[in-house]
Amino acid sequence: MEGVLVLVVGACLSAGVAVAVAVAWLARTGLRPAVPAAATRQTASFRLAGVITGLVACGAAAASGALGRGLLLAGPVFGLCVLAGVMAGEISVRPAGGQTRTAVVEVRRVRDYLPRGLATAVTAAAAVLLAVVTVTTATARPDDLGRPGRVLLLSCGPGTWQARGPWPGSFYSVPLAAMVAAGLITAGGALRVVIRRARAGADPDAVAADDALRQRAARTITGACGILVAVPLAGVCLVSAGALLSSSCRPAWWIYAGWALLALLIAAGALTGWCAGVLLAPARAVTAARPAR
Amino acid sequence: MTARPSLIVDTSNPTPPYEQLRRQLAELIQSTALAPGDRLPPLRQLAADLGLAIGTVARAYRELESAGLVSSRRGGGTRVSATAPSLPDSERRRLLHHHARAFVRQAALLGADEQQILGAISQALAT
Repeated sequence: MEGVLVLVVGACLSAGVAVAVAVAWLARTGLRPAVPAAATRQTASFRLAGVITGLVACGAAAASGALGRGLLLAGPVFGLCVLAGVMAGEISVRPAGGQTRTAVVEVRRVRDYLPRGLATAVTAAAAVLLAVVTVTTATARPDDLGRPGRVLLLSCGPGTWQARGPWPGSFYSVPLAAMVAAGLITAGGALRVVIRRARAGADPDAVAADDALRQRAARTITGACGILVAVPLAGVCLVSAGALLSSSCRPAWWIYAGWALLALLIAAGALTGWCAGVLLAPARAVTAARPAR
Repeated sequence: MTARPSLIVDTSNPTPPYEQLRRQLAELIQSTALAPGDRLPPLRQLAADLGLAIGTVARAYRELESAGLVSSRRGGGTRVSATAPSLPDSERRRLLHHHARAFVRQAALLGADEQQILGAISQALAT
């Protein structure tokens, strides 16, 4: 069974890396509207700082925390740092001053800037994470040292019990839920900052370039949310599948549930790769002017 | 593609910024560049874009609401009223001539001749 798990984890990592490379390459060669170079550099610097801080914090979180709890929280910690970087970058973009100020008569909405496909995938992953964690939390029992929500208990006959762990019960799910909720609230705040940030002018080319910059920020926020959700989802699926499939006296349906969780693990890995590709894709400082009419 | 309408506020102009905003928005509504039902930018967004206080933009919106040009609803933002009066053709022509005369006067003060004035208009139309 361990061999199968290693194979699935390997497939998951491969899928993630492949998707990350594909997304980054497509973003590099895709035709995108112009982005002002100075603002792009400024926001990219903050974004990169967020990613680097996130990697360090993620490593620290993974190394700390008892019984794998830190490892489970590493993804959300990384996502939070990236979100903080995006917010700082957006706040750092100052509006054009001067005596004559211009503004376009428009209503900027979050949905105009969000990448639809990625946002849908991240929302679905969040819903799946919520569903899986709710079930695992409800079925978890205390371990042999009395720590609540750490193992799955299975009856193997009259008076015979088998404990399988670690199991993502409340021991893991409560801090995880707190971190993911904090991350999603931060993401909402970051999107508000992106929408409300002042435009640099009303000239059609400047508006198009500014829109491209906002779209880049919204993509990064969505990507960070994806990491925030997909990494713990992968961890929860891996641990749960391991517990379900390694039990010697399991009911038959546990096998199907275990394989379904492994399929989710691969999907979560692919989503993680997609989001990593979005986060790492360079935003080119294209200055080609589009036709005014 | 038609460019979206824009607003300009000149802080060195003796006319208060809220009045500059009110006047421009009223013109956009009366000329139907902003159609009935169109939503005006949220207060915070427009204030941030123009570098003005929220209260300044709010005052301009209140004045427009008093004139029956827009209506505000909690959660629904500020929209152009269905009953907002539009300019009759004669008034449009009068305003066009008025703005043309003002432009020509300013251009003449800058020392531009007729060819240069026509060239500037052609250039402005092309952008």
